Amino acid sequence: MVNEKQLRDEVKKLVSRDDVKYVIGYEQGTYGFQVTPSFAFTPEEAERFIFSPLCANNLSVYLMLEEKPPLRKGEKEDTRKVGLVVKGCDARAVVQILQEKGLKRESLVIIGVPCTGVIDPKKITVKFPHQIKPVDVREEGNHYVLTINGKNQKIPKDELLFEKCKQCEYPTPVIHDVLLGDEVKSTKKEEYKEIKTLEKKALKEKWEFWSKAFDRCIRCYACRNVCPLCYCKECIVDQLSPQWIYRSVNRSENTVWNLIRAYHLAGRCSGCGECERACPMNIPLTMLNKKIEKDIKELFQYVAGVNLEEKPLLAMFKPNDTEDTIL
Amino acid sequence: MMQTTQVEVKKKMKKDFEPNIIGFLCNWCSYAGADLAGTSRMQYPPNLKVIRVMCSGRINPIFVINALQQGADGVLIGGCHPGDCHYERGNYLARRRYAILRELLDYVGIDPRRVRMTWVSASEGKKFADVVKEVTDEIRELGPIQQLKRENTW
Repeated sequence: MVNEKQLRDEVKKLVSRDDVKYVIGYEQGTYGFQVTPSFAFTPEEAERFIFSPLCANNLSVYLMLEEKPPLRKGEKEDTRKVGLVVKGCDARAVVQILQEKGLKRESLVIIGVPCTGVIDPKKITVKFPHQIKPVDVREEGNHYVLTINGKNQKIPKDELLFEKCKQCEYPTPVIHDVLLGDEVKSTKKEEYKEIKTLEKKALKEKWEFWSKAFDRCIRCYACRNVCPLCYCKECIVDQLSPQWIYRSVNRSENTVWNLIRAYHLAGRCSGCGECERACPMNIPLTMLNKKIEKDIKELFQYVAGVNLEEKPLLAMFKPNDTEDTIL
Repeated sequence: MMQTTQVEVKKKMKKDFEPNIIGFLCNWCSYAGADLAGTSRMQYPPNLKVIRVMCSGRINPIFVINALQQGADGVLIGGCHPGDCHYERGNYLARRRYAILRELLDYVGIDPRRVRMTWVSASEGKKFADVVKEVTDEIRELGPIQQLKRENTW
């Protein structure tokens, strides 16, 4: 993992620059295994920054969440840059946003952190429930060392890692202005094992599995709000005329919402898994996203968020695209 | 005895079932093809309800899913042949969307045969009639849609 002093120095240097508005990073949360996003406007505020295996949040969502009120008469637009600390998967989301021209490359300063995997908060809270005081977590080789109440505990990495991190193909940010520490090379490969086994099942079984999952949905839209690539000015579920998806919470509407959410990320999802992490009802949303990711890899040989020069998947075509099922 | 009659009733119901199919046809080719089929007095099942769109590239996947939600048992998308699109690339884009949507529907357990796409040019009235026949037969075989249907119809 990253040397935190180096990170803070780099952030301080950035924030003191005239053309940088603020830097987004992580700071120690108030309790348990929480790490909260932090915004540094001054070099002093940069002192709070940390980076630990608990930093699971994808901070690139804050780039799109920033409110830009209309300018007053005579007022000039604030064109200062925004700094951002990114891991491998977050960087892919940034590339995707840039590719779609959601942001300009000049408006960003990206601090890349070569990532060796982050801890799934759901897994760790199952292991240590009722943890109130903040916990220090370090990485040592193949283990995590947790300091709880002054005692050190060693836990194998595999038990706590996010599922996505176990198959991560891009641990080093594909886009960065500054890279902290050495590049991490990945030998892992995405195998889509879970998805392939579900795919092979009968239609009825698949529907049983998914309808059970979608029935749990309470339509809080946390999956949408946490997603760095869900930044439509007006989301389809907020639209009232025409109202495509009703607001009632029932199987039909829930299914359609989840399908449309997944579809809207087709060829854009970078697989950061934030939707599933934010979901309060534990719906396996990454299984939907990964399925589409796998399909476009097979059908169109396309991987989202890797190449800045490429056009978005659904905005281009090849004359020899698949035509098997067309009458 | 009881069981056999039930099966028979079910079979009969399946036979009697008339599917409700929504057809999104592109203005320049498929719609004109359907028009030709009509003016040439070709017979094809009346189950298809046509919605004219300017291009198959106009079809948002939510149109398809919404149709299924509102009680359609199947959806047919008609576009120009590749290379023939009035807007040069609309049907190519639709083709990509369709391929992904089909896979996704299959993955969540909705029979992908309910959503079909076809290329029909303005001169292919015969092909249009054949396609509608084929799709209607297939969806009649599948029966009414069980998933997705909207519960509150007010």
